[in-house]
Amino acid sequence: MDWHDAFLEQARSDHAILQRLADPAVEYCHRLHYLQMVAEKLAKSMLTPPGSREAPPSSHSAFVRMLQVLKTRPEVRRQLGFEEAAQFKRYIDSLLALAARIEGLAPAQAGLIRPNPEYPWRDPPTVQIHAPARFDFPEFDPRDARLIKLHGLIRDLLRIAR
Amino acid sequence: MAVQHVDPVIERQARLLAVDNRAAEPDIQKIYWFPHDREVRLVELTDQVPQSLDGAVHPFYFRASERDDLAAPSAIAMIRSDEYGVLTLPAEWGDWSDAVEL
Repeated sequence: MDWHDAFLEQARSDHAILQRLADPAVEYCHRLHYLQMVAEKLAKSMLTPPGSREAPPSSHSAFVRMLQVLKTRPEVRRQLGFEEAAQFKRYIDSLLALAARIEGLAPAQAGLIRPNPEYPWRDPPTVQIHAPARFDFPEFDPRDARLIKLHGLIRDLLRIAR
Repeated sequence: MAVQHVDPVIERQARLLAVDNRAAEPDIQKIYWFPHDREVRLVELTDQVPQSLDGAVHPFYFRASERDDLAAPSAIAMIRSDEYGVLTLPAEWGDWSDAVEL
Protein backbone atom coordinates (compact mmCIF):
# COMPACT_ATOMS: atom_id res chain seq x y z
CA MET A 1 0.00 0.00 0.00
CA ASP A 2 1.26 3.51 -0.79
CA TRP A 3 0.63 6.76 1.13
CA HIS A 4 -2.19 7.82 -1.19
CA ASP A 5 -4.13 4.58 -0.71
CA ALA A 6 -3.36 4.46 3.01
CA PHE A 7 -4.77 7.93 3.69
CA LEU A 8 -7.80 7.23 1.51
CA GLU A 9 -8.42 3.92 3.24
CA GLN A 10 -8.18 5.53 6.67
CA ALA A 11 -10.47 8.40 5.61
CA ARG A 12 -13.09 5.83 4.54
CA SER A 13 -12.72 3.93 7.80
CA ASP A 14 -13.03 7.15 9.83
CA HIS A 15 -16.14 8.00 7.84
CA ALA A 16 -17.67 4.61 8.63
CA ILE A 17 -17.16 5.38 12.32
CA LEU A 18 -18.62 8.86 11.82
CA GLN A 19 -21.81 7.26 10.48
CA ARG A 20 -22.08 5.17 13.64
CA LEU A 21 -21.79 8.24 15.85
CA ALA A 22 -25.16 9.63 14.77
CA ASP A 23 -26.68 8.02 17.88
CA PRO A 24 -28.00 10.93 20.00
CA ALA A 25 -26.54 9.22 23.08
CA VAL A 26 -23.05 9.92 21.73
CA GLU A 27 -21.63 13.36 22.55
CA TYR A 28 -21.67 15.63 19.50
CA CYS A 29 -17.95 16.44 19.77
CA HIS A 30 -17.09 12.95 18.53
CA ARG A 31 -19.01 13.46 15.29
CA LEU A 32 -17.21 16.75 14.69
CA HIS A 33 -13.88 15.16 15.55
CA TYR A 34 -14.39 12.41 12.99
CA LEU A 35 -15.73 14.81 10.37
CA GLN A 36 -12.60 16.95 10.73
CA MET A 37 -10.36 13.88 10.54
CA VAL A 38 -12.11 12.48 7.46
CA ALA A 39 -11.76 15.83 5.69
CA GLU A 40 -8.07 16.09 6.57
CA LYS A 41 -7.20 12.54 5.53
CA LEU A 42 -9.15 12.78 2.28
CA ALA A 43 -7.22 15.93 1.42
CA LYS A 44 -3.91 14.33 2.37
CA SER A 45 -4.61 11.34 0.14
CA MET A 46 -4.91 13.77 -2.77
CA LEU A 47 -1.72 15.55 -1.78
CA THR A 48 0.14 12.33 -2.46
CA PRO A 49 0.49 10.95 -5.98
CA PRO A 50 -0.64 7.34 -6.42
CA GLY A 51 2.33 5.03 -5.95
CA SER A 52 4.28 7.56 -3.90
CA ARG A 53 6.57 6.37 -1.14
CA GLU A 54 6.80 9.90 0.23
CA ALA A 55 4.42 10.93 3.01
CA PRO A 56 2.16 13.96 2.44
CA PRO A 57 2.92 17.26 4.19
CA SER A 58 1.99 17.32 7.86
CA SER A 59 -0.18 20.45 7.59
CA HIS A 60 -3.75 20.28 8.92
CA SER A 61 -4.93 22.93 6.46
CA ALA A 62 -5.36 21.05 3.20
CA PHE A 63 -9.12 20.58 3.10
CA VAL A 64 -10.17 24.05 1.93
CA ARG A 65 -7.37 24.17 -0.60
CA MET A 66 -8.43 20.75 -1.88
CA LEU A 67 -12.00 21.97 -2.43
CA GLN A 68 -10.72 25.05 -4.26
CA VAL A 69 -8.73 22.86 -6.64
CA LEU A 70 -11.54 20.32 -7.02
CA LYS A 71 -13.98 22.89 -8.30
CA THR A 72 -11.85 23.31 -11.43
CA ARG A 73 -11.68 19.58 -12.19
CA PRO A 74 -13.93 18.45 -15.06
CA GLU A 75 -13.90 14.76 -14.08
CA VAL A 76 -14.87 15.50 -10.48
CA ARG A 77 -17.63 17.81 -11.67
CA ARG A 78 -19.01 15.10 -13.94
CA GLN A 79 -18.78 12.34 -11.35
CA LEU A 80 -20.65 14.46 -8.82
CA GLY A 81 -23.44 15.04 -11.35
CA PHE A 82 -22.88 18.71 -12.23
CA GLU A 83 -23.24 19.62 -15.89
CA GLU A 84 -22.04 23.22 -15.69
CA ALA A 85 -18.77 24.48 -14.27
CA ALA A 86 -20.43 27.64 -12.94
CA GLN A 87 -23.01 25.62 -11.05
CA PHE A 88 -20.31 23.40 -9.54
CA LYS A 89 -18.27 26.47 -8.54
CA ARG A 90 -21.28 27.99 -6.77
CA TYR A 91 -21.88 24.70 -4.96
CA ILE A 92 -18.30 24.45 -3.71
CA ASP A 93 -18.02 28.18 -2.95
CA SER A 94 -21.13 27.97 -0.77
CA LEU A 95 -19.31 25.47 1.45
CA LEU A 96 -15.84 27.00 1.72
CA ALA A 97 -16.45 29.11 4.83
CA LEU A 98 -17.88 26.15 6.71
CA ALA A 99 -15.09 23.91 5.42
CA ALA A 100 -12.57 26.40 6.84
CA ARG A 101 -14.28 26.22 10.23
CA ILE A 102 -14.21 22.42 10.12
CA GLU A 103 -10.52 22.59 9.23
CA GLY A 104 -10.00 24.97 12.16
CA LEU A 105 -11.31 22.33 14.56
CA ALA A 106 -8.00 20.48 14.38
CA PRO A 107 -6.36 20.86 17.80
CA ALA A 108 -3.17 22.04 16.11
CA GLN A 109 -5.10 25.06 14.83
CA ALA A 110 -7.48 25.61 17.73
CA GLY A 111 -4.81 25.32 20.40
CA LEU A 112 -6.06 25.38 23.98
CA ILE A 113 -8.00 28.63 23.58
CA ARG A 114 -10.64 27.82 20.95
CA PRO A 115 -13.35 25.18 20.77
CA ASN A 116 -12.19 21.91 19.30
CA PRO A 117 -13.78 18.49 19.51
CA GLU A 118 -10.81 16.60 20.92
CA TYR A 119 -9.11 18.47 23.80
CA PRO A 120 -10.35 20.73 26.60
CA TRP A 121 -9.68 24.44 26.13
CA ARG A 122 -9.93 27.69 28.10
CA ASP A 123 -12.04 30.48 26.66
CA PRO A 124 -9.90 33.66 27.04
CA PRO A 125 -12.72 36.20 27.59
CA THR A 126 -14.50 34.19 30.28
CA VAL A 127 -11.48 32.18 31.51
CA GLN A 128 -13.82 29.20 31.63
CA ILE A 129 -12.41 25.77 30.88
CA HIS A 130 -14.50 23.58 28.61
CA ALA A 131 -14.58 19.87 27.91
CA PRO A 132 -15.60 19.06 24.32
CA ALA A 133 -17.98 16.37 25.54
CA ARG A 134 -19.97 19.01 27.47
CA PHE A 135 -19.95 21.70 24.76
CA ASP A 136 -22.74 22.22 22.19
CA PHE A 137 -20.62 23.63 19.34
CA PRO A 138 -23.34 26.10 18.28
CA GLU A 139 -21.36 27.04 15.16
CA PHE A 140 -21.90 23.49 13.89
CA ASP A 141 -25.60 22.84 14.30
CA PRO A 142 -26.11 19.30 12.94
CA ARG A 143 -29.42 20.46 11.40
CA ASP A 144 -27.69 23.26 9.45
CA ALA A 145 -28.34 22.65 5.74
CA ARG A 146 -24.78 23.65 4.84
CA LEU A 147 -23.27 21.18 7.27
CA ILE A 148 -25.48 18.43 5.89
CA LYS A 149 -24.45 19.46 2.36
CA LEU A 150 -20.75 19.49 3.26
CA HIS A 151 -20.98 16.06 4.83
CA GLY A 152 -22.73 14.85 1.66
CA LEU A 153 -19.93 16.25 -0.47
CA ILE A 154 -17.29 14.49 1.62
CA ARG A 155 -19.22 11.23 1.38
CA ASP A 156 -19.47 11.61 -2.41
CA LEU A 157 -15.77 12.43 -2.73
CA LEU A 158 -14.89 9.31 -0.75
CA ARG A 159 -17.11 7.34 -3.12
CA ILE A 160 -15.44 8.56 -6.30
CA ALA A 161 -11.86 8.81 -5.00
CA ARG A 162 -9.44 6.19 -6.30
CA MET B 1 15.22 27.24 -19.03
CA ALA B 2 15.98 23.57 -19.62
CA VAL B 3 15.15 22.49 -23.18
CA GLN B 4 13.25 19.23 -23.19
CA HIS B 5 11.00 17.22 -25.43
CA VAL B 6 7.42 17.25 -24.24
CA ASP B 7 4.79 14.81 -25.40
CA PRO B 8 2.22 16.82 -27.40
CA VAL B 9 -0.52 14.90 -25.60
CA ILE B 10 0.73 16.32 -22.30
CA GLU B 11 0.95 19.84 -23.67
CA ARG B 12 -2.52 19.61 -25.18
CA GLN B 13 -3.95 18.44 -21.86
CA ALA B 14 -2.15 21.21 -19.97
CA ARG B 15 -3.64 23.82 -22.28
CA LEU B 16 -7.07 22.20 -22.13
CA LEU B 17 -7.02 22.18 -18.33
CA ALA B 18 -5.85 25.79 -18.26
CA VAL B 19 -8.80 26.87 -20.39
CA ASP B 20 -11.22 24.74 -18.39
CA ASN B 21 -9.87 25.89 -15.03
CA ARG B 22 -10.05 29.57 -15.99
CA ALA B 23 -13.66 29.08 -17.03
CA ALA B 24 -14.45 27.26 -13.80
CA GLU B 25 -12.66 29.76 -11.57
CA PRO B 26 -12.50 33.30 -12.99
CA ASP B 27 -10.45 34.39 -9.96
CA ILE B 28 -7.43 32.53 -11.33
CA GLN B 29 -5.05 35.29 -12.43
CA LYS B 30 -2.32 33.25 -14.14
CA ILE B 31 -1.56 29.61 -14.88
CA TYR B 32 1.95 28.24 -15.18
CA TRP B 33 2.85 24.90 -16.68
CA PHE B 34 5.93 22.92 -15.67
CA PRO B 35 6.60 20.64 -18.65
CA HIS B 36 7.11 16.97 -17.86
CA ASP B 37 6.93 13.94 -20.13
CA ARG B 38 4.32 11.91 -18.24
CA GLU B 39 2.34 14.27 -16.01
CA VAL B 40 0.61 17.62 -16.42
CA ARG B 41 1.95 19.98 -13.76
CA LEU B 42 0.22 23.30 -13.21
CA VAL B 43 0.54 26.11 -10.70
CA GLU B 44 -2.43 28.46 -10.68
CA LEU B 45 -2.33 31.92 -9.12
CA THR B 46 -5.34 33.12 -7.19
CA ASP B 47 -5.59 35.25 -4.09
CA GLN B 48 -8.64 33.23 -3.02
CA VAL B 49 -6.43 30.56 -1.41
CA PRO B 50 -4.85 30.89 2.02
CA GLN B 51 -1.18 31.73 2.31
CA SER B 52 1.22 28.78 2.40
CA LEU B 53 2.11 27.87 5.97
CA ASP B 54 5.36 26.09 5.19
CA GLY B 55 6.79 27.96 2.22
CA ALA B 56 6.23 25.10 -0.22
CA VAL B 57 3.98 24.34 -3.18
CA HIS B 58 1.82 21.29 -2.46
CA PRO B 59 -0.03 20.08 -5.55
CA PHE B 60 -3.11 17.86 -5.52
CA TYR B 61 -2.77 14.79 -7.72
CA PHE B 62 -5.34 13.39 -10.15
CA ARG B 63 -5.28 10.19 -12.13
CA ALA B 64 -5.86 10.15 -15.87
CA SER B 65 -9.50 10.08 -16.94
CA GLU B 66 -9.88 9.07 -20.58
CA ARG B 67 -13.61 9.67 -20.44
CA ASP B 68 -12.96 13.33 -19.68
CA ASP B 69 -10.27 13.67 -22.34
CA LEU B 70 -7.58 13.69 -19.67
CA ALA B 71 -5.17 11.06 -20.94
CA ALA B 72 -2.39 11.81 -18.46
CA PRO B 73 -2.30 12.18 -14.70
CA SER B 74 -2.09 15.73 -13.45
CA ALA B 75 -0.84 17.68 -10.47
CA ILE B 76 -2.45 21.03 -9.71
CA ALA B 77 -1.46 23.59 -7.10
CA MET B 78 -3.11 26.90 -6.31
CA ILE B 79 -0.99 29.59 -4.70
CA ARG B 80 -1.31 33.30 -4.04
CA SER B 81 0.08 35.67 -6.65
CA ASP B 82 2.74 37.03 -4.29
CA GLU B 83 3.99 33.48 -3.67
CA TYR B 84 4.97 32.96 -7.31
CA GLY B 85 8.71 32.47 -7.59
CA VAL B 86 9.04 32.44 -3.80
CA LEU B 87 7.68 29.09 -2.63
CA THR B 88 9.72 25.92 -2.91
CA LEU B 89 8.56 23.75 -5.80
CA PRO B 90 8.04 19.99 -5.43
CA ALA B 91 11.10 17.86 -6.04
CA GLU B 92 11.63 17.12 -9.75
CA TRP B 93 9.52 20.07 -10.89
CA GLY B 94 12.62 22.04 -11.76
CA ASP B 95 12.73 25.71 -10.81
CA TRP B 96 10.53 28.71 -11.41
CA SER B 97 12.41 29.58 -14.59
CA ASP B 98 11.01 26.36 -16.10
CA ALA B 99 7.46 27.67 -15.79
CA VAL B 100 5.58 28.32 -19.02
CA GLU B 101 2.68 30.73 -18.75
CA LEU B 102 -0.43 29.37 -20.42
